[in-house]
Amino acid sequence: MDPGQHRRGNFRGMTTGDSTIAEVLSRAKPWKKGRFYEEQPDGEERTHHWGRTFTETDSILFSTLTLSFNPIYTNREYARQLGYRDLVINPLLVFNTALGLSVEDNSEVGGAFLGVEKLHYHMDVYPGDTMVAKSLTKAKRLTSKHKNMGIITWHTEGWNQREELIIAFDRSNLVSFGDIW
Amino acid sequence: MKLAALTANDNYFENFEVGAVYKHARGKTVEPLENVLFTNLVMNTAAGHFDAHVMKSHPAGQRVVYGGVTIGIVIGLAMQDTGENGIRELGLDAIRLTRSVFHGDTLYALSEVLEKKDSTRDDAGEILFRHYGINQNNEQVFQGDRRVLIKKRSAWIER
Repeated sequence: MDPGQHRRGNFRGMTTGDSTIAEVLSRAKPWKKGRFYEEQPDGEERTHHWGRTFTETDSILFSTLTLSFNPIYTNREYARQLGYRDLVINPLLVFNTALGLSVEDNSEVGGAFLGVEKLHYHMDVYPGDTMVAKSLTKAKRLTSKHKNMGIITWHTEGWNQREELIIAFDRSNLVSFGDIW
Repeated sequence: MKLAALTANDNYFENFEVGAVYKHARGKTVEPLENVLFTNLVMNTAAGHFDAHVMKSHPAGQRVVYGGVTIGIVIGLAMQDTGENGIRELGLDAIRLTRSVFHGDTLYALSEVLEKKDSTRDDAGEILFRHYGINQNNEQVFQGDRRVLIKKRSAWIER
């Protein structure tokens, strides 16, 4: 017998810990996350959880790993000579973070992310700035292509610590109906 | 620091002509490195992007790359050519994610110049690009329009 297989077999055997878990699992209630299609009223406005402070590391990592080669994101002196007060936080990271913060309320029980319309960057974002995201549920519609999901469009905004609008966009996503579960 | 030495000299405002289409040189294979890192870094809580086990029982059978990562990589692949001399990103529109992207897929980018116009600044103009993202099979995964303020060569080449 292959000694590796023997070892794995031992590690995969039933232990007293496993029987404890089986008992705990039988009593555990799933802690639900996300909101189904019918749980999101048309016209609802909502502030999303957490907020996020942008760090220099976030932006440099994002800019380099996406090959987003404009020195305003990676060379502080260059950014200053172009008139910025510091390195600029990559706007696509700002967009992705506003979207990310909105996911649990909006599209966590979703299907495909379909698209974005009318995205405007309203203000430059610098390391140390903090953003809070908000959304308005703008439109809901059913689609013949999907039996178990509908399309929701949200207007999402990101606001900084001085209550200034930094980004706004409309996003559409497939969202599951609750009754399929 | 001489600014013009830090960026190329073939991608100023004057270098672009409406109607031109470019295929950008580099592709990038999407790994959990990008997908899982950025999904978690931006606090996107949708587990379908980072829980491989739960996705085994999903029709996709595996983790799906977060669309924001696809947008970031495709526009990133186009950035050196269409934004290295950018002063400011202005906005995006008509973004479409037309096909799922999975770990191991390789993305490439193409760009088309849709529109050029003067801006409120003398030293820069606005360009509207349409970016296309394709995978290793030449299938479209992304399309979107991006407006950017780009330096005018005449104002910046000596700086």
